[in-house]
Amino acid sequence: MARDVFTYIVGGKAGEGVKKAGTVAANMQASMGLNVFQMDDYPSLISGGHNFSVVTSSEREVRSHYMSAEVVVALDERSYRTHACHVAPGGVMVFNSDAVSEGEGLGVPMTSLASEYPNAALRVGVAGLASLCALSGRTREQMADTIAREYRHDLENNTAYADAVYDHVRNATDLRFELGGTDASRGGSGDGRTDAASGLPMFTGNEAMALGAAAAGLDMYIGYPMTPASTVLHYLAKHDRELGVTVVHPESEIAVANMAIGAAAAGAKVMVGTSGGGFALMEEAFSFAGMAEVPFLSVMSSRPGPSTGVPTYTEQADLRFALGQGHGDFPRVVASPGSVAEAFALAAELMALVWDFQAAGLLLTEKHLSESRTTVELDVNGATWAQGVTHEGGDYRRYLETDDGVSPMLFPPSNELIKWSSYEHDEAGITTEDAEAIAAMHDKRDRKGAALTDRLREMRTVNRFGDDGPLILTYGSTTLSVLEALAAGDIDARVVQPVYLEPFPVWEFQELRDEDAIVVEQSSTGQFATLMSERAGVGVSDVILRYDGRPFEPVELAEDIRKAIG
Amino acid sequence: MQDDLITGAENTWCPGCGNFGILNAVKRAVRTLEDRGITRDRLFMTACIGCHAKIFDYLALSGVYALHGRSMAVAQGAKLANPELKLIAFTGDGAGYGEGVAHLLFAAKRNADITVVVHNNGVYALTTGQRSPTSEAGFEGPSTPRGNEEDPFNPLAIMLEAGATFVARAYSARLDALAEIIVAAVEHEGFSLVDVLQPSVAFHNTYEEYESSVRTLEEPAETLEDALAIAREGGGMFSGILYRVERPSHGERLQGDFSPVAAHQDRDERHERVRSLVG
Repeated sequence: MARDVFTYIVGGKAGEGVKKAGTVAANMQASMGLNVFQMDDYPSLISGGHNFSVVTSSEREVRSHYMSAEVVVALDERSYRTHACHVAPGGVMVFNSDAVSEGEGLGVPMTSLASEYPNAALRVGVAGLASLCALSGRTREQMADTIAREYRHDLENNTAYADAVYDHVRNATDLRFELGGTDASRGGSGDGRTDAASGLPMFTGNEAMALGAAAAGLDMYIGYPMTPASTVLHYLAKHDRELGVTVVHPESEIAVANMAIGAAAAGAKVMVGTSGGGFALMEEAFSFAGMAEVPFLSVMSSRPGPSTGVPTYTEQADLRFALGQGHGDFPRVVASPGSVAEAFALAAELMALVWDFQAAGLLLTEKHLSESRTTVELDVNGATWAQGVTHEGGDYRRYLETDDGVSPMLFPPSNELIKWSSYEHDEAGITTEDAEAIAAMHDKRDRKGAALTDRLREMRTVNRFGDDGPLILTYGSTTLSVLEALAAGDIDARVVQPVYLEPFPVWEFQELRDEDAIVVEQSSTGQFATLMSERAGVGVSDVILRYDGRPFEPVELAEDIRKAIG
Repeated sequence: MQDDLITGAENTWCPGCGNFGILNAVKRAVRTLEDRGITRDRLFMTACIGCHAKIFDYLALSGVYALHGRSMAVAQGAKLANPELKLIAFTGDGAGYGEGVAHLLFAAKRNADITVVVHNNGVYALTTGQRSPTSEAGFEGPSTPRGNEEDPFNPLAIMLEAGATFVARAYSARLDALAEIIVAAVEHEGFSLVDVLQPSVAFHNTYEEYESSVRTLEEPAETLEDALAIAREGGGMFSGILYRVERPSHGERLQGDFSPVAAHQDRDERHERVRSLVG
């Protein structure tokens, strides 16, 4: 197979700047005009352990990392042992010879070289970038430029250390990889001044969702830290003033969800975020939002469960949990993005939908999309703006009966009486136990649900890729893995990815009802496969599952798909 | 004359219930607040679930009828969203000191600018008389037929320790004092707690006890230590403002004079700001 991708893996202990080493390498390649995908694998600890970052780049669109790497940089012994098997044919292992006594590949005394500078242990991550630059034809000037951009502190020492590692690698081997990209074609010119201007920016899924919600008019974000959703909170907290958004971190997920309801009732466009376990605590409020008809949107980013599970890894086993949220009958919307660009657009779209229909909504995703970084162009102009129907004047009733079940909203301060309620209520929002009134309010909410479904019929709710070949069904971040596997394996197939999962777009599956499909998902019981046979009515011939916390690897997945095709 | 602070919803509190006193005191407080420039359109109420919470249906103020124990969290969200509003969260001893106690503690800790009125009757009345966090040891209810095996805690002392900047207690049968305290609590910039001793005629009738034991506290304590001593002494059977201190509110410290609702940008401006991050 002709490789049209370049992969770099850097591994080390937590605290050695591994993630940074991956990010810097990714940013450098993005600045060269390449398409880049970065996946960070890290355990739930602060110091020690084994972290690694995988950066795959290509001149074509690249939707996944690969685990077969042209350049592996092992900062410690464990990384050497773990990743020796990940060196691609013709690739090279650059290892820290201070940590690995007898290694195969290119040994660089990364620790000894670092010991000449202060904070040696924190600096070894820079060796990753230096090795990559040395092996990919980057000049020292270009490398210095990257360091200046990426490592804000201690520029002089970092540059000197990087030079030492760079020279060591250059002297030890003539091996050079062609990265491609605009900048590389001018490589060696000494002009290192081409940077971000020539390439696409990089965002994680969480950053994209935060920005997408912001582009829809977000006023507040409320969150309680829980991996892998925490970086939505961090990103918005960091940029709150630039965006004009208030960010709150209260005492619990329960407080988060209920504060969000209060904020929305006061007129603020608000979003919350958590993982499955945190949402278990928000579920009561989700139902509250359904009854009170408060616009409510939460990011639910999954990690392997059940229970505490595996905090920093990926899984799609919260699908049924997401679809079945909240006790009682009420309309809700659940959608899951299949790319970082879609995460941005969908966050905005869902924000608009929950405001238009005063509904409870979930933006379902997984660690793999939440935390992976890709080069992406976020379509700000195309972002949906959240508005909602508001009262025009005259006597106000919060739960006014209307044809589509949507009652205009009004926010304080107002001389009208505005009563939002978790109890069953009459049109004015006063508690009722009257049989007719109970049924009438159910009918009103159900009409709203029907109107929501009608709206979805006018929207793009399903993505389709490929024109012929066998049918593959997948969703969420696994879409990335499937599309990259098809590219890696040069397989022709039709991929159908439902973006909206509730209300389920059955109308999009009419012509597929007689077909058999291969389903690919990250769960052990095949929750999505069950959903597809129950709701889409598609025959499921094969289910490809992965549930070890790791995202699919494209080459391996291509093999699985090929076997399923038979 | 029609009472414009009453919705007209049928009142289902037991005759003689302490909740009537609280409702009447709140109405009086609202009128006083209006005289002092805090108009009722700026008052936003939340309530939990329980007998106390029926005040939401009866009182003609806008707000959110929240879940059991959550009115304090909902109120804080509304306050941050629109700092122009004055939030009154109604709760009970079961909802506020039990199910939602974390929200109460943290509202006090961060000095959230909300007023919490606790209808403290020492029993879960709406669910037919189970013991609450403030029921005395030995209290016999359907969940504790051999008597409450726990001791009550002292909510005033807990609130003081949590950092509450305004702590008061009142008695539902002393309307004037209760109304005055609620006015002072709403006017207080920061977290205020009004614990209202309230008999439940059906399940925990404490009228006689309160009539004889509740004394009037004329002045707030000068120091936190003095306030704690008063709160602890005999369970704090008094009516009055126990402690009042000025501290910047949570909203002020978090967002200054920024108001998310008032500052809501139009689409173009927001897109401009997002674009500056998107590059």
